[in-house]
Amino acid sequence: MRFDKFLQPESFRSALEILTKDSKSVILGGTTFLRLSDKKYSTGIDLSNLGLDYIKENNNQIEIGAYTHLRTIEIDPVINKYFGNLIPKSLENLIGIQFRNNATIGGAIFGRLGFTEIITALLVLDCELEFEENGLVPFSEFISNWNIKRDILKKIIIKKEKGNCSYHMLRNSNADFAILSVAVSNFDNIKIAVGTRPSIAKLSEKASQIINSDNNNIDEAANMVAEEFKFGKDLRAEGKYRKMIAPVLVKRALLEVLK
Amino acid sequence: MKLKLNINNRFYNTNIDGDESLLDVLRNIGFKSVKKGCDTGTCGVCSVLINGKPTLSCQFLAARAPGHKILTVEGLGKKADKIVDVIVNEGADQCGYCGPALVLTTYAMKKELKNPTIEKINHYLAGNLCRCSGYEGQLRGIKKYMGVK
Repeated sequence: MRFDKFLQPESFRSALEILTKDSKSVILGGTTFLRLSDKKYSTGIDLSNLGLDYIKENNNQIEIGAYTHLRTIEIDPVINKYFGNLIPKSLENLIGIQFRNNATIGGAIFGRLGFTEIITALLVLDCELEFEENGLVPFSEFISNWNIKRDILKKIIIKKEKGNCSYHMLRNSNADFAILSVAVSNFDNIKIAVGTRPSIAKLSEKASQIINSDNNNIDEAANMVAEEFKFGKDLRAEGKYRKMIAPVLVKRALLEVLK
Repeated sequence: MKLKLNINNRFYNTNIDGDESLLDVLRNIGFKSVKKGCDTGTCGVCSVLINGKPTLSCQFLAARAPGHKILTVEGLGKKADKIVDVIVNEGADQCGYCGPALVLTTYAMKKELKNPTIEKINHYLAGNLCRCSGYEGQLRGIKKYMGVK
């Protein structure tokens, strides 16, 4: 990644103006993955001065600023208090601590990259994103359609809920990207998300219906995941392998949340 | 653009491009302990402490560095010697390329981990790759430094 100008706007409005007027400008997150690309931008827009590095707990929700580092989230006591260890587990094996001390949650989400495990975890929570232009957008909607491309992600809002969550993944070696990631939550009903297929994580519809109709249908629901999702090939694993592993991880996660 | 950087508690004035990494800027100033390895955020040899936290300087934009405290192994002084000694005593210094980053990360780990265990140490150091694969020796030494049996 290269850019000619580095700007630090003093307000979200002025940042958005630069972003929308100049199609070759880019919002800088942790610049971890962005930096690996060969793209040349006109302007790098840095939001460090806009106070986006925070985790706040309100009565009903947790708010995470878009510039909060992944490592900060991983070890934050508020985050660790809710949702079991769903969120920390989806972060703790990403490369190393030095990487997670720089990578931001906003960058991880806005990039909508297939290997981003935190997306798998957030999909099973009641989660919204707040943008400068588009306002509040449900997380699952942002992930499943690509309408929002030029906007500023300000914060992630997670509703506090009572229930069990579970996160499982498989990777070839510690600190590598995962081959497969599975998140399951059990609040009012059970939600199942499968990620790194290697395309972006998605919520299950059919398998969730099966398990929500009868909580004893664990095997049936787990096997449905293999049919419901498309599993592809990359340098880490074949699609066939992913397809075989997915039901195993989903079954483990379902057994945990239904304990 | 002109920057004033706080490196090892001393201020340095420098002129950089907006998209330059902190790694390149530090090496240009003369902090050669900060190594350029993979330059893709994977190997950890470029790690420095930013406000006490281990951070990959290859991924950190230098333009964002003003206002932060940057610590390289040169700035650790005698505190580094203690860590180097436990590693050397286990014969685990080998080529030394990953050494400065490992020493810095170990220093930060000692401050951060309240109840260190072997699992926690391994997890904390997972981002420090050693091309000589001298992990066992390093771990033996670092366990002693951390007071873990």
